[in-house]
Amino acid sequence: MNEHLSPDLIVDYLHGELAPEDDALAHVHLSTCAACRREIDLESNLTEVLQKMAAAEEQEMPSLIKAAVWQQIRDAQPGPVARFAAWLRSPVAIPAFGVPAFAVLLVGGWLASPYGHSAGTAPTIDAAYYLQAHAQTAQTPLSIQPAQPALETSMIDSGAGPQLADADADAALAAGGLDGSR
Amino acid sequence: MVRVKPVAGAFCALLVLASTSAGPIAAAVTPPPASPAASVSASASASALPTEPADPTVLLRSSVAAPKTVSYVGQFESVRFASSRASATIVKVEHRAPTLTRRWYVAPEALYGDYVITRGSSTYQFDTKGSKLTVTRNAALDDPLLSGGNFNRILQNYRAIYDADAIVADRPTASVSLINKYTGERAVRVWIDRQTHLVLKKEEYHANGAVAAQTRFEDLRYTTSIPDDIFSIDAPAGFSRVAGPAAAAPSSDIEKVIHDAGFTPYTPKVLPQGFNVVSGDVAMVNGVRTLHLLYSDGLRSISLFENATGAAADFGSLHPTTVSFEGHDGQYVEDGPTTLLTWKEHDIYFALVGDLLRPELIEIAKSVVP
Repeated sequence: MNEHLSPDLIVDYLHGELAPEDDALAHVHLSTCAACRREIDLESNLTEVLQKMAAAEEQEMPSLIKAAVWQQIRDAQPGPVARFAAWLRSPVAIPAFGVPAFAVLLVGGWLASPYGHSAGTAPTIDAAYYLQAHAQTAQTPLSIQPAQPALETSMIDSGAGPQLADADADAALAAGGLDGSR
Repeated sequence: MVRVKPVAGAFCALLVLASTSAGPIAAAVTPPPASPAASVSASASASALPTEPADPTVLLRSSVAAPKTVSYVGQFESVRFASSRASATIVKVEHRAPTLTRRWYVAPEALYGDYVITRGSSTYQFDTKGSKLTVTRNAALDDPLLSGGNFNRILQNYRAIYDADAIVADRPTASVSLINKYTGERAVRVWIDRQTHLVLKKEEYHANGAVAAQTRFEDLRYTTSIPDDIFSIDAPAGFSRVAGPAAAAPSSDIEKVIHDAGFTPYTPKVLPQGFNVVSGDVAMVNGVRTLHLLYSDGLRSISLFENATGAAADFGSLHPTTVSFEGHDGQYVEDGPTTLLTWKEHDIYFALVGDLLRPELIEIAKSVVP
């Protein structure tokens, strides 16, 4: 081969895409032709420069895009509830979870019942009792109306001098004829 | 269940008012004997009015006794002021001396038609909406020492002065104010009927001068012609009859009361000037032994309740506000000028009640367990 290599042959030679016979002829020619070796070197350098430039232009994916991608990945995965539900459906979970759950329901039901409730609850005193008891005993002589408890005690003026007890009320209370418990 | 209809109650009240208004029936009004109202007239003229005694305390003493000798029908209005709101009631009243009284609620609507009959120290509360009759005995009124002693305590701590006269419920009145001897503040002002010496209007004031409560007659007729049925305590058909909360009989023997409490109580170390312990009692409240100590200066009172059995206050539908003092949280509610403050300290639950401003009450609470 005495003719110079064409540019297409040089490129194909560099990329190893020539047929073996053509590749051998191009190799023999380059060993004796300084002009074609320069062309090969130029082409080789150009290819290297382009590869470096392409590598330099690679950029990080914007963070928002990455976040959106990860969000889609997470959405595609089952959540904790779904995973727990899936775990409950497994044969192992039924005895491991079912027995304690039944025990909790049993204890809770007992505490909510009158038996459990009465045993564990501290007594309380109705706040209204304090107001009524105070109004009944805190008498002042200067009043428009006699003392009166119970019904909206605080709204009514209270207080009066000593008075006679009502015999009917005494009799009823003494006989236990009233329905009230207090 | 049969319920008493408010309309029927109003009709009865109107009948009473009509029967006692000016006219032939009014002319037949006979005031009780030996009464300051022995010559009560429907429209007293100024020239016929008795002059008030030079010493206002004499008039005050007479006003205290007036309800025992003067009978009347009328309507009065009460307004009680909390720190940021007020509650009011309008009540028709029939009173037959010495001890029969019926109050019939006109307002607010929630109480409309309900009525309360007082016979001496017993009270019969007719809840027409709930068809319930509640009977309550107030043992405090049976103790003449505890009740009668109040007036002397008033004079110890307050100075009575005459204020400007006024017309209340179309009646000429003499006005007397009670001035706190220690603070110089006016605590109470009353307007007293110059003929009958009945208190027709009353204003109570906080320590800062704000009005705490006002009660006054809108309408008033003196009469003894009040039918007995008005004061009937028979439960209407369908009513359940229950006993009201039993207030323990108060005792002035404080040492015995404290002994009966069964635990060592705490008492306030700081009280407004003029206040002293007046009485005490121990009551079983919802199965809880509760000590109650009452402090008073004659006009104003403070109650301290204590229990050592871990029974906290149940505020129910009340909406308490939390307040912090001396490193622990308390809760308080205001009921008109009355404040209830509760807290726990040294395994004892305390409840403090009084017609004092909240800061005053908190200062007292701080001194209970210093």
